Amino acid sequence: MAPIPTPEKEKLGKVIVIGGCGFLGHHIVDLLLEAYKCTISVIDLRTTRNRRPDSDNVQYFDADITSLSSLLPIFEKIKPHIVIHTASPAAIGESSESKTKLRNEMYRKVNVDGTQCVIEACQKTGVKGLVYTSSASVISDTEADLINADERWPVIPAKNQLEYYSTTKAIAEANVLAANRSLASPSLLTCAIRPAAIFGEGDMQLIPGTLAAYTDNKTGFQLGDNNNLFDFTYVRNIAHAHLLAAYALLVTTQSPTAPLDHEKVDGEAFIITNDQPVYFWDFMRAVWKAAGNDKGTDHVWVIGRDIGLVLATLAEWGTWMVGKDTPFKRRIVRYSSMTRYYDCSKAKRRLGYRPIVSLQEGIDRAVGFWLEERKTAGEKKGQ
Amino acid sequence: MGLLGQLLYFSVHPNQLRSILQWKIWHEPVHTRDPKKETANQRECFKYLDLTSRSFSAVIQELNPELLLPIAVFYLILRGLDTIEDDMTIPLETKEPLLRDFQNILETDGWTFNGNGPDEKDRELLVHFDVVITEYKLVKPEYRAIIADITEKMGNGMADYANNAEHNVNGVNTIKDYELYCHYVAGLVGDGLTRLFVESKFANPALLKRPELTESMGQFLQKTNIIRDIKEDFDDKRRFYPKEIWSKHVDKFDDLFDPKNLDAALNCSSEMVLNALKHGDECLFYMAGIKDQSVFNFVAIPQAMAIATLEIVFRNPDVFKKNVKITKGDACQLLMDSSTNLRSVCEIFKKYIRRIHKKNTPKDPNFLEISIACGKIEQFIESIYPTQDPKKLSLLHTGEIDPDVEKKKAEDSEAKKDVFFLLLAVIGTLLVISGLMIGAAYLAGARFDVAFDEIKKGKIFPKFDKGSEEAQSIVNQHDHGEL
Repeated sequence: MAPIPTPEKEKLGKVIVIGGCGFLGHHIVDLLLEAYKCTISVIDLRTTRNRRPDSDNVQYFDADITSLSSLLPIFEKIKPHIVIHTASPAAIGESSESKTKLRNEMYRKVNVDGTQCVIEACQKTGVKGLVYTSSASVISDTEADLINADERWPVIPAKNQLEYYSTTKAIAEANVLAANRSLASPSLLTCAIRPAAIFGEGDMQLIPGTLAAYTDNKTGFQLGDNNNLFDFTYVRNIAHAHLLAAYALLVTTQSPTAPLDHEKVDGEAFIITNDQPVYFWDFMRAVWKAAGNDKGTDHVWVIGRDIGLVLATLAEWGTWMVGKDTPFKRRIVRYSSMTRYYDCSKAKRRLGYRPIVSLQEGIDRAVGFWLEERKTAGEKKGQ
Repeated sequence: MGLLGQLLYFSVHPNQLRSILQWKIWHEPVHTRDPKKETANQRECFKYLDLTSRSFSAVIQELNPELLLPIAVFYLILRGLDTIEDDMTIPLETKEPLLRDFQNILETDGWTFNGNGPDEKDRELLVHFDVVITEYKLVKPEYRAIIADITEKMGNGMADYANNAEHNVNGVNTIKDYELYCHYVAGLVGDGLTRLFVESKFANPALLKRPELTESMGQFLQKTNIIRDIKEDFDDKRRFYPKEIWSKHVDKFDDLFDPKNLDAALNCSSEMVLNALKHGDECLFYMAGIKDQSVFNFVAIPQAMAIATLEIVFRNPDVFKKNVKITKGDACQLLMDSSTNLRSVCEIFKKYIRRIHKKNTPKDPNFLEISIACGKIEQFIESIYPTQDPKKLSLLHTGEIDPDVEKKKAEDSEAKKDVFFLLLAVIGTLLVISGLMIGAAYLAGARFDVAFDEIKKGKIFPKFDKGSEEAQSIVNQHDHGEL
């Protein structure tokens, strides 16, 4: 794997990372500190977790992105050149309808309204480049396969999108891209990064979810035939792509001529993967293995996709009738038996993107972190 | 396997028998050489080709006539070199100058060599090598230059290895050494062949600008052979698995063959397979550059065999006990499927890749890497033959195409077409049959003019017996009506 960007650190000027205490955000802050010359400010709802030590000179601001009045003073004070907007609530399916409604309301508020505030703040304070963390799920309706999909694939319109989270990400992405060289502020350049299935240290979804199956001794099931290729992307590669994009935007603003269409970064969306699609269950097994599982596949029961869907429906009804929730849902069956991998050539061509951490290395780091966390949690309990 | 054994085998594996029969019965070569039109010397050459090559002889002989002899001669020359290099009974003092000078030997009329040991299986070729030289001199100068260049490079490479005592005692050390060895014995051949293909305009000249594609073709075949032949080579006191790989799994190379180390041995073998799989996508890419069908078959058949061989050796304990081979039926099926077009070769690769992936186990230290290597080949195939069309997907979402309506429409128009053709067929058949009947009746002397007039008079059903007088009178009236 290639070493981190260049020996000569690239300059990014003043950077604000929104959501810089979150999972992806704090990895972006780490990489900025390691590989770029810049001054870093972080905006987050709460800036208590994932903080860098004071010696790193990262400034932290508590603010709510859904309120422009809360954002503007910080922007005016910092006068950032680059804004990287990664803040987004975690996408989790909810059991009850009322909970789902509340959660959807939050998705809309943070992803759509919040992003709109960020765009306005950028426009009002002369920001040069805005990089938005979108999601590769904007082109997935959660049911149909995505086979080697690239940026030519259509964004799923709201009426066909079964995951409301993805709808809100898609709306926000469209707004961000529309703000590129817009009439309101022609000097602002924007682009969007669409990561595919992010995982890494501090990840709250993929790795803990996968390892829960291991600790609960549920490694003996396989839904679907496991011929479905899937992209899982290590968080640091995604952070790397964000910074390449930010740098490209800065270079574009400094260039006297507009870029050619086939090398344009501003106004564009980029799918980012580890460029190593694997069979879905192989990834799960590799994660379990990294956590210490020494089993092969002899004990595994293969449940076909269709039978899995029927069983999941029964399980959902059964548990609903007794007023409980089941982790075994149709959504899970579909997800684990669908093909969903991408072609990230556009990012390679235009951003010079190459993954800097391999999938195996990423799994080892992520699981190592999780094991460490669990150990400290266990020790705390033991005290 | 005796006849009885074969009968038993085929009775439970009818598909295998089917493939063999289909190949034998239906196979029609793109080109067939015609021994009657050949010189006696050329026939001699093909005799030695059959003698020295089991797998390549057939595909060479189906090549386009333009390349048939150049490639046959090229093969025999390299086989000659190989026969000198391989023979451990030839002392190094004799061997080295022969290897290094072979491209000049090719210019020496009447040169033969009988210094091979009596056990050397291809000894005969060198004893009669003058035949090859005669034919070589008749090859077009452009092709000859390519053959001479590769012969020189390969001879020198082989001489370096023969000189390298370390290599001969301990085998190959690093992965880099291993790939260099494969380059000398296979990559160079590929290079020569690609240049011949491009020179004869049977391949896209762009292949010359991407030498790594050609290299992968050779590496893939050679590595597969090395992985498969580990036991045979070991019995011959040769080892080609690089130490860099096997030392990760066992302490001594010999330990690979100890049944109690089976798990380690399998992991070692699968790391070798992983190393070979890395070439898969480039092999497919290379084949996209071939323009002539016979040349395509020539390059595609060995690749298809190689991917199938990789699958059968992958995590197969027998590899350390005997020479594992794909079955004859599978081989025939592969011959049929691969000698068509790139798309079916891609299908073959996908099929065997998925089988390798199925056998892959998390117990293997390279579990994830193997899965990724398989995925990479699948993704490459998808990039040249995409399953999904983003334009269609877009129309689907904008509602310009409703998938259900669209399907129904297609079905309806299909049904309409069916009815139309069915009617056409029925009417056509009727017309043809009536035509035949009327024609036959006319030829036999039927009086349609009379019948027509009678019908006009409204007498559709005649009220008299056939051949009766009344009938005759009607005919007479008709014939002499004006009288």
